[in-house]
Amino acid sequence: MAHTDEHLDLLGGRVHLLRGGEGPPLLFLHAAGGAGQWHEFHELLAGRFTVYAPDHPGFGGTDEFGEVEDMSDLVYHYLDVMNRLGLDRPHVVGGSFGGWLAAELAVAAPHAVGSLTLLSPAGLRLPEHPIADLFLMTPQQLGAALFHDPAKAAGMFPAEPTIDDILAAYRDMSALARFSWSPFLCNPKLERRLGRIIAPTRVVWPDDDRVVPIAHGHRYAELIAGAELKVVADCGHAMYFERPAEFAAAVTEFLTELTGASR
Amino acid sequence: MKFVFFHLMPYPYLPDDFDENYPSPSLTFPNKYFDRETGNRLYHRYLDELEHAERLGFDGIAVNEHHQTAYGLMPSPNIMAAALARRTSKAQIMVLGNAIGIRGNPLRVAEEIAMLDHLSNGRIVSGFVRGIGWEYFAHSINPTRSRNRFNEAHNLIIKAWTSDEMFQWISPNYEYRYVNLWPRPLQEPHPPIYIPGAGSTETMRFVAERRYTYMSVYAPTQVVRRWFDGYRNAAASLGYEPDPEKIGLSIPVFVADTDEQAHREGREQLMWLFHKGLKQGPELMNPPGYMSPSSMRGVLMAGMKPFPQLSYEDLLSGGYAVVGSPETVTARLRELRDELGFGQLIGLFAIGGLTHEQTVRSMELFSTEVMPALRSDQPATTG
Repeated sequence: MAHTDEHLDLLGGRVHLLRGGEGPPLLFLHAAGGAGQWHEFHELLAGRFTVYAPDHPGFGGTDEFGEVEDMSDLVYHYLDVMNRLGLDRPHVVGGSFGGWLAAELAVAAPHAVGSLTLLSPAGLRLPEHPIADLFLMTPQQLGAALFHDPAKAAGMFPAEPTIDDILAAYRDMSALARFSWSPFLCNPKLERRLGRIIAPTRVVWPDDDRVVPIAHGHRYAELIAGAELKVVADCGHAMYFERPAEFAAAVTEFLTELTGASR
Repeated sequence: MKFVFFHLMPYPYLPDDFDENYPSPSLTFPNKYFDRETGNRLYHRYLDELEHAERLGFDGIAVNEHHQTAYGLMPSPNIMAAALARRTSKAQIMVLGNAIGIRGNPLRVAEEIAMLDHLSNGRIVSGFVRGIGWEYFAHSINPTRSRNRFNEAHNLIIKAWTSDEMFQWISPNYEYRYVNLWPRPLQEPHPPIYIPGAGSTETMRFVAERRYTYMSVYAPTQVVRRWFDGYRNAAASLGYEPDPEKIGLSIPVFVADTDEQAHREGREQLMWLFHKGLKQGPELMNPPGYMSPSSMRGVLMAGMKPFPQLSYEDLLSGGYAVVGSPETVTARLRELRDELGFGQLIGLFAIGGLTHEQTVRSMELFSTEVMPALRSDQPATTG
């Protein structure tokens, strides 16, 4: 299915956006990795929805937006992006860091989010179940932490990265660090705010998540009214890279059930 | 030529399985390997060596700041400087430097250096560093803010030292509604400032604009040459030529009676420094955002080998370190001086697990034979 590659000019810079598919609008918020790529997972969702996949500030093809300093700024940034795209209560789907962002968006602007699908989101501070420190890992360690199947991990990182590969990865990780170095990949206030969410919510977790422990999934599901937790088997934290079909199905199934009820 | 005795205060007693099982002596290397009694003896031994350096005629004695590491045992360099201030009387006491990028409260640095200036009767030199990458993990400071924090903290400290009026300080990372430093430093307008550089053109310009002293960090001669040239060019673009004393080469030095003895005793310890003490992957060195994209590109393009991949011969021929008899060391330092045009030598003498006796012998041979020879030479000219 064809997708377009475009830029949105906002006040603070340009946002790189991939768009494809037909159907109700779906805003996809990417994880630490995978910015700027139209992936098999997007393609599968695009069969049912109009998928909008912007790169976050400082990631992929999007400008730095230096004034977007933390998660609260990022929420305002995405309210601007939604406004600019004319998205009326889109389905919001976010993975990992993007899942945290999706939850924050639904907390800050409950009426702006049509539904919420959180794929192994970061964002909570559970001292007994710490999130793995991605910043301290070598590329080899990162691959091992992200994937259930080591063979799939091998494909994710080039064996002989070029200087441009290294710089692009460093830029993405620098943007991630800007928003999440400390407090580490969380907003300590998010937990007590989750009750504000009114959008129908599904939480999806891989069964072998070595980055964000599944205890976070149980907590999210417990604190968001009506939320359910679905587990995908034989999969690591790099969910939609490792099992794109299963994750796309988990999203599509939920949103299809909702259709008519919430829209 | 000005000579500085710089102590790193290593904890050299690593377990036998260090190479296989630990990615670095820094950040995550378990502190159970810090033996309390051994560490206690090391502190006193190392401070004795710093005091001895003054007696031997070194112009400066220097300490630095590192956190959570066996590489160096000085989380607070200002405490070490305080310990030296009233036990010495002539040498400059150089804090090289306070890691103001990771300090939660930089005003405290201004206060402590001002106090040290009085305790030392005006002998304090104040270095400022950003802090190594791993220290941003250790102290939970966001590395993407490192450069701004450093610049803001520096500007705050200088203003606090020099202002005669109470002022309010507001910058993105710091807010102080009342800055009114008691005591003011003894030296006017403030203690001399040293800044190490590792290739950043922003740093070269920053140092040149303020006429501070620019010092190198571990690197081969050809790379240090580019850094020093960059600093001189930055000064030239501002319309002046820096005094060679404002250019400091920091380099490990080991002297023994003969070349044979120097290599026999020094080899293993120099290898400790570069293969164990400085063992740290890019994850530890350059956490995300610690370097600007252009600096990161520069580092990648320079293609410097990681320290643990350098052989002993690489270290010596590359100019990472100088080892030998007094004659050999004198000749090598002359070569380096002529190539690099530095007027200040910041020597790292306590390398790895050198014993106190070996260290003192090295310092003594250096001060009685190498220093006089170099001092008697004509002033350095740009190579």
